Amino acid sequence: MDVIAEGFKAAIALLLKGDAQLYEIVGLSLGVSLCSVAISTFIGVPLGALIGTRDFKFKNALLRVIYTLMSLPPVIAGLLVFLFIMRRGPLGSLELAYTPTAMVIAQVCLVTPIITGLTYNIVREKADKVKNIAVTLGAGKFEVLKLLLSELKIGILAAIVTGMGRSLSEVGAVMIVGGNIKGKTRVMTTYIAQLKSMGDYSTAIAVGIVLMVLAFLINSFLYNYQQRDERL
Amino acid sequence: MNIIIDRITKEYGGRKVLDVDSLDLNEGAFCGVIGPNGSGKSTLLNIIAGLAEATSGQVFYEEYGMTEPPLKRMTMVFQTPYLLRTTVEKNIAYPLKLRGWKPQDIDNRIRELADELGLTDFLKHKNWSLSGGEAQKVALARALSFRPELLLLDEPTANIDPATTAEIERMLKKTNEEGTTVIVVTHNLVQAKRLCKETLLLNKGKVVEFGPCEKMLKNPENELTQRFIAGEILI
Repeated sequence: MDVIAEGFKAAIALLLKGDAQLYEIVGLSLGVSLCSVAISTFIGVPLGALIGTRDFKFKNALLRVIYTLMSLPPVIAGLLVFLFIMRRGPLGSLELAYTPTAMVIAQVCLVTPIITGLTYNIVREKADKVKNIAVTLGAGKFEVLKLLLSELKIGILAAIVTGMGRSLSEVGAVMIVGGNIKGKTRVMTTYIAQLKSMGDYSTAIAVGIVLMVLAFLINSFLYNYQQRDERL
Repeated sequence: MNIIIDRITKEYGGRKVLDVDSLDLNEGAFCGVIGPNGSGKSTLLNIIAGLAEATSGQVFYEEYGMTEPPLKRMTMVFQTPYLLRTTVEKNIAYPLKLRGWKPQDIDNRIRELADELGLTDFLKHKNWSLSGGEAQKVALARALSFRPELLLLDEPTANIDPATTAEIERMLKKTNEEGTTVIVVTHNLVQAKRLCKETLLLNKGKVVEFGPCEKMLKNPENELTQRFIAGEILI
């Protein structure tokens, strides 16, 4: 117990003092996660909406693949991306290995299926009703899509926040493709893993606290938005 | 708006659920579609509304040759109203905004409809705070806002109290008197008698009888119609 209590005290002191390296790591974590979630949202939301509103051949097979990818182990995603971007890989000439770009690519592979799958479920549940109402009130194709997004925005936002949570907390993929290089590709989760192996529990707890606070802020944002939407 | 139905059929998985040979409804008609569950009433309405495609045959709107439903001039009210996640007034305003109405005209039309349907006190209320009857009145106000030429209703007063039903029926009568063609699916024969000029009885997807409501409900020609009106279960 003493180790934990001491660790917490030291962590709070470290946070209050303001450690430049810690802030740099937090900044990179946020940057990589926000970039990957933005790209995944751009791909996943329209794709999920499309699958949810259209019937086509192999739809069930595609959904099975998406659901499987939703639980893709991060180390496998990291390994696959690394095999493509390593020096001898097909994209080796781009020199992406051990860069934040590689970390973003790996996280996009992990987060896109989550946002796509969750968006599909939300759209499938309500899309027909919204579509029928929009069409019978005279909405064109673009207006139907606009209304769908507006009616389903809370659910879609929850899907995006879930993706953000996965991205921020992920360690395996970014470790493999980023390498946890100090000042270059070190993020909060890989740093915590390294600090634990070094026995530096106070710094590990400090980084852990920052990670938890970020998760809390993101979820609070969603909760506030939901509340505000219902009050309007 | 005239509606001409020309040999439409609808099949689901090889099973024919609708087979209507021909049916003409003139502008200003008020047609009640009655029949037991599974007789194809809602399927027929969905095909006319453009929400489902007929397996074969055509629905003509206005005149022969016009097969595309004029969606800006017609609308439908469903049994379970779906209101947008916003206030009552924004729900009623939605189709008017789609048609590019001016804000002042939208506001005037909302007040007029709210007054007629007893919704004035609810205009600022959110959709989720309404009772079933209030929600259906909002759905009706929204559908009538742009003065449609064809109004389709799928059991609009099922599970609604008599007072709200009376308000809705009064509004439907008024709308029809102003020239709108109305087609309503109902299980309520008394309601059909109160509202409709024509009645269509469907059974197993086929037309059993179609004619003036008063005559059909008082002196039905077909034996199946007689049994249906007598409350027998048609198998």
